[in-house]
Amino acid sequence: MNRREWLKSMSALAVGALAAPSLLAVLEAHAAAQTPGKTPQFFKPAQYGLIGGVADIVIPRTDTPGAVDAGVPLFIDQMFEAVYTKEEQTRYLTAMAAFDKAGGKPFMQLDPAQRTALVNRLHNEAVTAPKGSKLAPEADFVLMSKKLTMLGFFLSQPGCTQVLQYDPVPGAWKGDIPLNKAGNGKAWAVETSLKI
Amino acid sequence: MEKNTFDAIVVGTGVSGGWAAKELTEKGLKTLVLDRGPMVKHLDYPTAMKAPWELPYADEPTQADIARWPKHTRPSFYGITQSTKHWFVDDIDNPYEETKPFDWFRGYHVGGRSLMWGRQSYRLSEMDLEANGKEGVGVDWPIRYKDLAPWYDYVEHFIGVSGNNDHLAQLPDGDFLPPMELNCVEKDFQGKLDAKFNRKLIIGRTANLSAPLKHDQSPQRGTCQYRNLCMRGCPFGGYFSSNSSTLPSAERTGNMTMVTNAIVYELIYDNDKGKATGVRVLDAETGHQTEYFARVIFMCASTFGTTHILMNSTSSRFPNGFGNDSGELGHNIMDHIFGNGARAMVEGHEDRYYSGRRPNGFYIPRYRNIGSDKQKYLRGFGYQGGAGRQDWTRLVDDKALGAELKKSAQEPGPWYVSMMGFGEMLPSHKNYVTLDRNHKDKYGLPVLNFDAAHQENERMITKAIIDDAMEMMTAAGYRDVNSFSIPANVGAGIHEMGTARMGRDPKTSVLNAWNQMHACKNVYITDGSAMASSGCQNPSLTYMALTARAASHAVEELKRGNI
Repeated sequence: MNRREWLKSMSALAVGALAAPSLLAVLEAHAAAQTPGKTPQFFKPAQYGLIGGVADIVIPRTDTPGAVDAGVPLFIDQMFEAVYTKEEQTRYLTAMAAFDKAGGKPFMQLDPAQRTALVNRLHNEAVTAPKGSKLAPEADFVLMSKKLTMLGFFLSQPGCTQVLQYDPVPGAWKGDIPLNKAGNGKAWAVETSLKI
Repeated sequence: MEKNTFDAIVVGTGVSGGWAAKELTEKGLKTLVLDRGPMVKHLDYPTAMKAPWELPYADEPTQADIARWPKHTRPSFYGITQSTKHWFVDDIDNPYEETKPFDWFRGYHVGGRSLMWGRQSYRLSEMDLEANGKEGVGVDWPIRYKDLAPWYDYVEHFIGVSGNNDHLAQLPDGDFLPPMELNCVEKDFQGKLDAKFNRKLIIGRTANLSAPLKHDQSPQRGTCQYRNLCMRGCPFGGYFSSNSSTLPSAERTGNMTMVTNAIVYELIYDNDKGKATGVRVLDAETGHQTEYFARVIFMCASTFGTTHILMNSTSSRFPNGFGNDSGELGHNIMDHIFGNGARAMVEGHEDRYYSGRRPNGFYIPRYRNIGSDKQKYLRGFGYQGGAGRQDWTRLVDDKALGAELKKSAQEPGPWYVSMMGFGEMLPSHKNYVTLDRNHKDKYGLPVLNFDAAHQENERMITKAIIDDAMEMMTAAGYRDVNSFSIPANVGAGIHEMGTARMGRDPKTSVLNAWNQMHACKNVYITDGSAMASSGCQNPSLTYMALTARAASHAVEELKRGNI
């Protein structure tokens, strides 16, 4: 959003504020104007499919929605399109190419059990490697994808509200209570943090 | 000219400008309030109600954002997120020069940084106000605690500050709303610091309404909803900003005229009268120039905003900048030492948690160079911090994957505690800002060039902040105690101060004991530039108290015909 758009949105809000109940509607319109595209921009279709395949293994659908249900592949595409540097893009794409070769044939041509086994093996390799050691690119890919999947999922509506718990307007601070009295006792989607 | 003439002009609408506007209008002065940016009315907070999933890019800055804010997104980074970047001016249209690196985070809009401030509200103490004079550092403050105390009371009562009266000489008590609660690990740390070090850990004092205000002058303000999204602007009016608090009061008097997009670039001086007669203004959108006139002028444009205007206002009387007979204008830049601290993991307490998101943390008030404690360095520091339970990010390097990962993430993580020091920076003539007349911004105005750095005393305090934090957490029995040091330039604390300091002697200071310019009595400066020393406390509350006090003085002086 540039300054001009911002100013425009501010004046739109001023109108919304006068007709008080529509303030939320105006905020929604503002959100829509700021939301990135609904289709992948960065990854090629085959790459995008592979990311979905890995994300589905990292956070599958269980009795709650999984990463693909939550729109994680599109989130990852948006992060690479807009947020990450050229170096980060290259690192991810290079690692992805290595990963796609690691299973003997292209990842999406493996059967589901083989895919899960491959991702689990490389994930285990990545998380058991000594701290600071350089990972093989295929293991690096799995760890990067895990991180991105978790980021996208735990910021998504299903992640925040169905897996974790989220209260948009808590209304009170209770600083020291039994765990089972803190809402439904699950981890809060947004931990309290001091912003200074 | 008539229609451009007022009783008073206030330049800026942040914490100081908002207070000047409220006080002057409530005392009956027809007051023109100028801000260089666009209007932000209370409730005009576009991202205030957004849930995490309604913000793109995980609320991270994009590469396009980084290109627009190259300085702002350096490691000491503040506020360039999808939810708050609209409150910060970019580095492209708002350039500055850095002889030495300087972090300058600015918001050019009505309300200024009162919208995004950290809200921590602490009083300076007698010890802070005496230190310069006793130690021969900088200049002696021309006021003492008794001069400020009633104004601190007045300001706290009006804005609402949640806190506890802790009976500490170095951190005076105030007129507080109920304190927020510490969590179980913070209480544990509090007990251990008391037992092992005889040091106090207190709940932070913050300008959030933990209960309704004790007055009925701000009907637009509701209590804090514990969302911890203050920086986006609060539609509940749960924290103090000019937009939610002082400006609505000023507006209700009917005495305020506000002009936005009004860049004040010069003060007008009348040689015959020996007074400032008004300001020259550039419209930020059209470039149109206007002069406004008044009997008294309050400069509240922020430390460097005000300094810029004064430096750019030269005349035969003031060839080196308006009011700059002392040569101290632009010098003695201070900020707080920022970015250093420690964190640790805390065993146990797994059955305890919290609900709500407290917009506040704990505070460890200064304990160095107090009483029998004597250090090699002067002054001291305080810590701000908090304890909490780790979120899902702890599981990125964990063995859990798939359904097991989901399940693990539902459990609150182990407890951690983290704290960062805020250290006092001494005033030094060597830390200064100048106008670079060879580099002009898009309005044709010369940009500021910063030349400020931490010196030996600041380096010793930085080391002590880290050493003491490690020592306290280790002594508390916590594990994985690690220090951190964010690469932060002067300015990163966003507590800039000192460039038009108060003092007793016109030869060494710009302002007198009433924030009145020694050399031009109808100009008052009540933003951070007035500070003669920095203390280690967050300074905004002091700016507000100084402003209310100065406004009262100005109105009395006008009545007496002295200005």
